[in-house]
Amino acid sequence: MILSADPFLLAPDAFPPLLGLSALLFSIGVAGVLVRRNPLVVFMSIELMLNAVNLAFISFGRFLNSEEGQIFAFMVIVVAAAEVVVGLALITQIFRIGRRLDVDDLNEMKL
Amino acid sequence: MTALIIVVGILAVVGAVGVVLSTQPLYSALSLVFSIGMLAILYLILNAQLLFAVQLIVYAGAVMVLFVFIIALLNPKAEDRPILDVRAVVAFVAVITITAALFATAHNGITYSGSNFRGAVVGASHNDQDPAYTKHAFDFKPADVNSGQAGNVQTVGGQLFTVFLLPFEITSLLLLVAAIGAVYLTRRVPKTEVDT
Repeated sequence: MILSADPFLLAPDAFPPLLGLSALLFSIGVAGVLVRRNPLVVFMSIELMLNAVNLAFISFGRFLNSEEGQIFAFMVIVVAAAEVVVGLALITQIFRIGRRLDVDDLNEMKL
Repeated sequence: MTALIIVVGILAVVGAVGVVLSTQPLYSALSLVFSIGMLAILYLILNAQLLFAVQLIVYAGAVMVLFVFIIALLNPKAEDRPILDVRAVVAFVAVITITAALFATAHNGITYSGSNFRGAVVGASHNDQDPAYTKHAFDFKPADVNSGQAGNVQTVGGQLFTVFLLPFEITSLLLLVAAIGAVYLTRRVPKTEVDT
């Protein structure tokens, strides 16, 4: 049914829960960035925030019956992938020069 | 369908909480994969088939495998200091505040009437006599919601290669820069460069 060509019925009252879920996931991501010290987990929390925003984009696009929300979400996914590549390269280099993986210790931008 | 959305949403939140509270980075990564998978199901429910596939292939496939590779390579230890301390309290307050603000905005901040959005500040005096104002946000007619084909690969791809062609091409430049930057950043630093 889900994959059929006909768009199946989706009640409009499903929209506020989706926006609430998006808000909650974003907040949990913020909490992860604030609480965790491992830069890898901080990055994962940032991914969580980006995913929450994607959900809001796609929900708006669905309920306004427009593709533009999905295209924005697509762009966000591309930017997130590029960000992860650069960020993980930085983390690898920090580890290689023998620093601890702790964002509290990495408070200045020099080697 | 709303019940399904709520169940999948709760599972996504459980995965997200697992990302923040797991002490081992690998467990955080696996929780994030779970949460991303649940969000992919939501995309499918929202008629975004292309984004469903992209979410699973790019996020759960490529990005999270990259994370797990780096975790396996660096083998980071679990955080030795306790997670729950003063900054956890600050984070908790921030979470409550942001969630409440976003909830309030989503619930009564925006009203949809006819063909345009009308933004309204929360707490501002609404003119209840205005027929365009609706008590609950996004009071859509079902015909508006279920009439379109938005979301399949044809429509999204058509938009992407016509209206949004320039952003799409700039994206390729971004990916090129990211690839070159990653290669540059992971080069071996000479010892003398570190010491000076």
